[in-house]
Amino acid sequence: MSKWYPKNGRVIFHLDMNSFYASVEMAYNPKLKGKPLAIAGNPEERRGIIVTSSYEARAKGVKTTMPLWQAKRLCPELLVMRPNFERYRKASSEMFKMMAEITPYVQPVSIDEGYMDVSHCHHLGSPLDIAKGLQFRIKNDLDLPCSIGIAPNKFLAKMASDMQKPMGLTVLRKRDLKTKLWPLAIEEMYGVGQKTADKLQNVGIHKIGDLVDANTFELKRILGINGERLQQRAKGEDTSPVDPDAIYDFKSIGNSETLREDTVDDSTLTMLLRKLSRKVATRLARKEVVGQTVQIMIRYYNRKTITRSITKSTYLSSETDIFSVATDLFELHWNGEPIRLLGVTVQGLIEKSQVAEQLDLFRYQEQAGNEALHEVVEQLTTKYGKNPFQSFTSSVDKDQPRTSFQKDFLDDFRK
Amino acid sequence: MKFIIQRDLLLESIQHVMKAISSRVTIPILTGIKIEAIEAGIKLTGSDSDVSIESFIPKENDGIVNVEQIEPGQIVVQSKYFPDIIRKLPLKTLEINTDDQFQVNIVSGGSEFHLNGQDAMEYPQLPVLHTDNSFEIKNDLLKELIKQTVFAVSTVETRPILTGVNMRLEDNLLNFVATDSHRLASRKIPLSTENEGLSFKDVVIPGKSLVELNKIIDDSEETMSISVTENQILFQTKNLYFLSRLLEGNYPETSRLIPEQSKTTVLTQTKALLQAIDRASLLAKENRNNVVKLETKGNNQLQISSNTPEVGQVIEEVTTESINGEDLKISFSAKYMIDALKIIQEDHVEIDFTGAMRPFIIKPHENEQILQLILPVRTY
Repeated sequence: MSKWYPKNGRVIFHLDMNSFYASVEMAYNPKLKGKPLAIAGNPEERRGIIVTSSYEARAKGVKTTMPLWQAKRLCPELLVMRPNFERYRKASSEMFKMMAEITPYVQPVSIDEGYMDVSHCHHLGSPLDIAKGLQFRIKNDLDLPCSIGIAPNKFLAKMASDMQKPMGLTVLRKRDLKTKLWPLAIEEMYGVGQKTADKLQNVGIHKIGDLVDANTFELKRILGINGERLQQRAKGEDTSPVDPDAIYDFKSIGNSETLREDTVDDSTLTMLLRKLSRKVATRLARKEVVGQTVQIMIRYYNRKTITRSITKSTYLSSETDIFSVATDLFELHWNGEPIRLLGVTVQGLIEKSQVAEQLDLFRYQEQAGNEALHEVVEQLTTKYGKNPFQSFTSSVDKDQPRTSFQKDFLDDFRK
Repeated sequence: MKFIIQRDLLLESIQHVMKAISSRVTIPILTGIKIEAIEAGIKLTGSDSDVSIESFIPKENDGIVNVEQIEPGQIVVQSKYFPDIIRKLPLKTLEINTDDQFQVNIVSGGSEFHLNGQDAMEYPQLPVLHTDNSFEIKNDLLKELIKQTVFAVSTVETRPILTGVNMRLEDNLLNFVATDSHRLASRKIPLSTENEGLSFKDVVIPGKSLVELNKIIDDSEETMSISVTENQILFQTKNLYFLSRLLEGNYPETSRLIPEQSKTTVLTQTKALLQAIDRASLLAKENRNNVVKLETKGNNQLQISSNTPEVGQVIEEVTTESINGEDLKISFSAKYMIDALKIIQEDHVEIDFTGAMRPFIIKPHENEQILQLILPVRTY
């Protein structure tokens, strides 16, 4: 079988679920099939934006991140549903399980996409057969469509899965780059956002192929180290491994929210900061991590956006602590202009079990305030093996994350 | 000004006064070394206005001539160049002379330097200390006091007073105390000479000053005189004058923070414990607090362990002389423990614990003069 596998290379799949939330809803309720369906946030509010939509809706011009009112105008018969995260979470978990049955080298990227390294799956057949089988199982068992890109590295696999939707199966070989990759517009390239695309277009790079021919030094000057990396990728080089643990190496946890209307009202802004701090604290608690740095993001009415952060000497995890640091930062850096969006992020995360609080000679009595309680917990922990008092997390579990929820879902995978 | 001097003696003095010289000073002339030639010898001065050091090279020492052909005068030379020049001169002796344009000429063998100097009249006058608060102590004892306490001063300015060592004198007992609020080191020494009625408690010497002083003074039986005023302290030997500013403010009362009873008492060999902690900390370094865990086991066994999931884990068993009292499980910074054990010269050490969340005491067995206190860490 190994004749289909390169001697010194890798075979990487990128699996991308097609309009995932909409597809899951359709699998739950087959009557929705074939209809223009959109999943959106709160439909009554401005922040009700399209999270995803079915292909029928996309045909009418409905796009992700489009405000609901605009989508309705384009497609009056659009069916709108609020997200049912529990359903998506379950479907996602099933899908990753199927991937993990093929190889342990599965790297989830978000709730609906992931990489897998099948370089050592000779015994299962050719890569194309494996991909077909996987796509069939997901369609058959879960009633969900997906596209799979097959390539010698992660970047090309990602580009390949994008080339054919829905239910695509695309092989992208190095020798195909000239015809399949390089003619694509630069903003189609994975890793190139609007800002990067603008910068590249300014220097005459409009297609991915232009990037290949560009001067490396000039790229480095415009985009820094990322410029060089993008060029390597455009050339079809990407050595990054499929890392099953990458998803767990989260470096920060943050939430942001757009206000109903641009405002300078102190109490509204403070309330939002508190709400965001609470959300972040909840997510920190859920992951059992603490962080040292708090960052706030302020987006003004004119979309000008600033981020400011401060690193504390102690680790923060509680809503009160995060809120107080975020408020200080906010008061220091807000220029008084109307605000459209606020964000709070905690960075420099480490696992709570890794943190030790050094007691202070002059304060240890108050620090040790719950000493007796701690001792009992410790004794019970020794007796039962695991701290029996972590049951609080159940209430955390039910708390539905709303914005940056995607990665949190993946905690369930492989539990 | 002119003189011919032994190069090594001059170099030694330069190195002493350089300890006080900083490149970041508000008065530019303080970046220089002041050289003063008088009939009796040569005096060098360095200062950063917090610490001032004078080092004197007598013309003769026990009949051995150090300095010749002295023509009195004074000059300030650039500390950036002067020490290196002297160090690299070809002969064992050198001549220094100056002209009225503050030009400094350094001649040694075939080597001749002309260095721009500055008018010594612009160098600030060192304060003259007027005090009766003086006492004497042997050099080696003072060095011991410094070494056994100064490591525990705070290195952060959150509570500036804790960056200093608290010096107390009461009932002829001299006591140095330092704490960074996470551990505390205390050393007492009875003074040999009578100092009737002399007592003070709020003298706080910057830790940095003591570190430098310790580098300069020799480990000898010679006597040093210590004089204290309200805001300055002077350490003086025959040829050295070390003046330091004192820290302002009240040093926290630490004696009542030291636990009086013990719930678990461990008696063990100092070296064996130090080495076990040192090994356990090899893995603990990865996690920021350098934490190790200590646990009492049966049969006078202590277990020291550390676990850093990404790196691995280590378990050390230490056989102690005795463990009395309650069972104990406690976590603390390996660094603090190593610091504390390192300065204990005695073979055996006694550790008194009063619970996992309370400070514990480390002291040499049957020596009440040294006391170390460490605050544990709370782990989740």
